Amino acid sequence: MQRQHHPWEDWPDSELPTHDATPIEIESVDLSVSASIFATGWATLLNRAPKIGIKRAAIDSAPPSAVSVRLRRPKVTVRSFTFPESPTWMPLADRKPSPVKREPLPESTAKQDRATRIAPPSDVIKLQDRLYYVLQPSLESLVLSNELEFPFEPFPYQFEGIAFLYPRYSAILADEMGLGKTMQAISTIRLLLYAGEVRRVLLICPKPLVSNWRREFTLWAPEIPVAIIEGDRAKRQWQWTDLDVAVRIANYELLMRDRDLVVDPQGHFDLVVLDEAQRIKNRSSTTSQVVRAIPRTRNWAMTGTPVENSSDDLVGIFDFLSQGYLTPGMKPRAMAKATRDFILRRTKDMVLTDMPPKLFRDAELELSPEQYATYRTAEDDGVLRLEDMGEGITIQHVFELVLRLKQICNFDPATGASCKLERLEADLEEVAASGQKAIVFSQWVHSLERLRDSLRRFGTLEYHGKIPHKQRESVIERFKSDASKHVILMSYGAGSVGLNLQFCRYVFLFDRWWNPAIEDQAINRAHRIGVAGSVTVTRMLTLGTIEERINQILQEKRELFDAIFSETGSAPGNAGLTHDEIFGLFNLRTPQGPIKNAS
Amino acid sequence: MPDTTKNANSNLGFLTVCEQEDQSLFGGLLVLNVSGRPLEFHCTAPVRPNRAQEILYGPTLRPYLYGEQIGRALMERLSAVPAVVFTDVEPVLALRPLTKAPVVYVGTETESKANPEGTARIDAPHPTPGGSMRLQRFRLGSWQLAVPQAHAEDESRVVSHWQSHADDFDLIEPFGRIREAIEEARRSAR
Repeated sequence: MQRQHHPWEDWPDSELPTHDATPIEIESVDLSVSASIFATGWATLLNRAPKIGIKRAAIDSAPPSAVSVRLRRPKVTVRSFTFPESPTWMPLADRKPSPVKREPLPESTAKQDRATRIAPPSDVIKLQDRLYYVLQPSLESLVLSNELEFPFEPFPYQFEGIAFLYPRYSAILADEMGLGKTMQAISTIRLLLYAGEVRRVLLICPKPLVSNWRREFTLWAPEIPVAIIEGDRAKRQWQWTDLDVAVRIANYELLMRDRDLVVDPQGHFDLVVLDEAQRIKNRSSTTSQVVRAIPRTRNWAMTGTPVENSSDDLVGIFDFLSQGYLTPGMKPRAMAKATRDFILRRTKDMVLTDMPPKLFRDAELELSPEQYATYRTAEDDGVLRLEDMGEGITIQHVFELVLRLKQICNFDPATGASCKLERLEADLEEVAASGQKAIVFSQWVHSLERLRDSLRRFGTLEYHGKIPHKQRESVIERFKSDASKHVILMSYGAGSVGLNLQFCRYVFLFDRWWNPAIEDQAINRAHRIGVAGSVTVTRMLTLGTIEERINQILQEKRELFDAIFSETGSAPGNAGLTHDEIFGLFNLRTPQGPIKNAS
Repeated sequence: MPDTTKNANSNLGFLTVCEQEDQSLFGGLLVLNVSGRPLEFHCTAPVRPNRAQEILYGPTLRPYLYGEQIGRALMERLSAVPAVVFTDVEPVLALRPLTKAPVVYVGTETESKANPEGTARIDAPHPTPGGSMRLQRFRLGSWQLAVPQAHAEDESRVVSHWQSHADDFDLIEPFGRIREAIEEARRSAR
């Protein structure tokens, strides 16, 4: 296309019109455009056939890859422990039938699903040893399985006591009196003997408690052979060295005499148990030195009062368990921390839910040699005299002999010897040391007066027929309020009714009344149903004497009554001895004929 | 594996597997004599399945780990095969094809109360066919027991061997001991 030329393009700038110039002239311009066809040759190309070419393209690619997940067998590492197969709880080869009449287990006071297991103490380090204890069956299962006979099912806290003692080589069982330390120790010794962990056991106790220990062994472990170390020197030597017996019982006094035999390294003991271990609190005493010298593997101490006067008392006991572990003057807090794992102490308040409100202990004692000689003469002569009376015999005659014999059972009239007093003193030591109070009942003022002289150190008060009525109230008041007065001596008659002494936790029946109902009234001075706190009643009884025979009759009557009236819960009526029963005590014929039920 | 010819003894095995919070598994095998006294105890170090095993084994993971791996490893350490091996964990029954001794599941009262009819909530996790073994259930004394149906003959073996003792022996209590022992072993390893 040609560019159109405009006329004004030829005008000089000076001639360009201005706004002030003359009016605009209009000139017409022809705008027509001429068009002609340009030959491109495309039409020819469109009619031409296309040319087809082939190119090769590779379609190969990398093969798909797979990810493998290795399912390796998990590595299982196993630790193994084997334990020796001991004789276990199966009967001992020479097990003898129980000499005591077994009573059926009372209904359990414990929950059936309770399982008390032996926990390894902190000083057992090796895992194998710890697992040995952890894997033992529960103590309850032993009782329920009947593989070991128990006359009564232990209370839950007693199971815990056994579980505490069993694994310990050094231990103090410091339960309050009346909670059954003896039973817990015996049952644990029994388990250790069956498990083969101990074979030779020595138990040391105060002399008045020896017969009690023997009786308790008979009750709780009748199949375990027990020997009391006694008799002349030759016999004792044989008992110490040659006698094949699992458990030996010796008293502290005898230990002093047999010192050379006891500390002989050949006579190694697997376990030595000290009862009333506060006796060795004085570390420099001969007793302490001898017991520390006994060759032994395990040692337990039993005491209701591990600390009587100062914390150094505990140092003395620990010198027996592990000499040097505690030192005199140690701060109480440090001492408490150091001994925590070695001492088990429960009070009645702590285990109250486990306990009945009244707990009876039968202190069955053997007469001292002096008492026994006097007693035998009195009974033999007395019976002969009664038999000589023939038809003239009356109940009064028999009654007089019974009273005479019972008095000898309390005290030997010639020497004043008394096995009951020895036992009572041992128990009252603990009562007083723990700040508790006790009532001692006797049917004779004469016996109470003898007791007063011997028990003076416990702060003794009296309440009986010889105490004027006007003074009695002040005696009771003093007993309540004076912390130094730990014992009140009462006669059954004066102290059985109208008194409330519920702050007393201990009652001792120094001799037994004819009728259990009277005893119950006496006991109830200290015990009231519904009142918090339980009462421990210790019934003293001399074995092989008239006391035992009377007790047996009364016990049978009580059991009969309980069997008949257990639903009503009422108290027995006249449960005392009948005319025929009193004659029967000496196998005598009454004027009416022989006594069938004579003992 | 131990000498299986010695399994004529009357000892009892108790095998359980405990699962910890971190999902690690501890196996324990306790052998008791007829008085309930321990003779042997074997326990495993922690076993923890990895994620791949969890996914790929699916519902068969527990029988695989509990029975075939942990159970087997424990049994291999025994000095003699016990008369019966009791377990309180059902997947341990997967051990049965690997041992001569009957493996018996001791059901707990809670389980039977929780599922008295064998029914299950449809919105709750429930076993798939591959994860749960078919069981033959039976009573022995006061105990509700079960054996794998594939080994149904174990029932008569267990009954004839153990019938006179069943009521005297607490078949659940030993598992508590094993758990305590495993815990004790764990504490000592820390």
